[in-house]
Amino acid sequence: MNSVEPIQPENAPPASTNLVKLPLGLLGFEPVKQFALLADPAEKPFAWLKAQGEAALAFVVIDPFVVVPDYKPEIPDADADFLGLTNAGDALLLGIVTIHAPNRATMNLKGPVVINRHSHIGKQVIIANSADYSVNHPLPVAAS
Amino acid sequence: MLILSRKLGESIVIDDRIIVKIMRVDGDTVKLGIEAPASVTVHRKEVHDEIQVNNKAAALKPGLPLPKFAQTKASNPPSTGG
Repeated sequence: MNSVEPIQPENAPPASTNLVKLPLGLLGFEPVKQFALLADPAEKPFAWLKAQGEAALAFVVIDPFVVVPDYKPEIPDADADFLGLTNAGDALLLGIVTIHAPNRATMNLKGPVVINRHSHIGKQVIIANSADYSVNHPLPVAAS
Repeated sequence: MLILSRKLGESIVIDDRIIVKIMRVDGDTVKLGIEAPASVTVHRKEVHDEIQVNNKAAALKPGLPLPKFAQTKASNPPSTGG
């Protein structure tokens, strides 16, 4: 498979089963493998990928399709197999957000975190068409 | 850094489980084939490094407030295909 469908907010994993395992960690943070995906409605559409058991490691994440509705990430077959993705609906995609300043944030579209919505196993995938997208895609934000 | 010379079609073996083969040589471009277990990630270095740097910048520093998302209701007309 090489494309995934946009994920609607109502399809996000429910709070009671929001643990996510990244067997290979994130690039630069490989030893950290257990996370919780947490969303505070007041911070919509941002959510948190919070390391479990580690001190204070967390990433702000966002559904990339909220900002780029026609995002077409090509997931390499080896990664789809690793995650056990049999169809586009199996995958939840999260863009890691960088907060540069109180009024400037960007998201990574080259390396989304792809999560199998049934198994809650995830991986940071470098998409095959990474040249088409930015690691720092601007988000429409204002200082809170 | 270990430096080896290989000819087209030849391979190297890493850690008894990763094989890198020279598939094609075309001017200054070399096409490599890599066989590795699924637990081993393989990426073009420059993209790997770019994402690693990006992750480190994104890793949350406590105390920085989340900005407010400007909810632009971008109306997306249904695609008619093509």
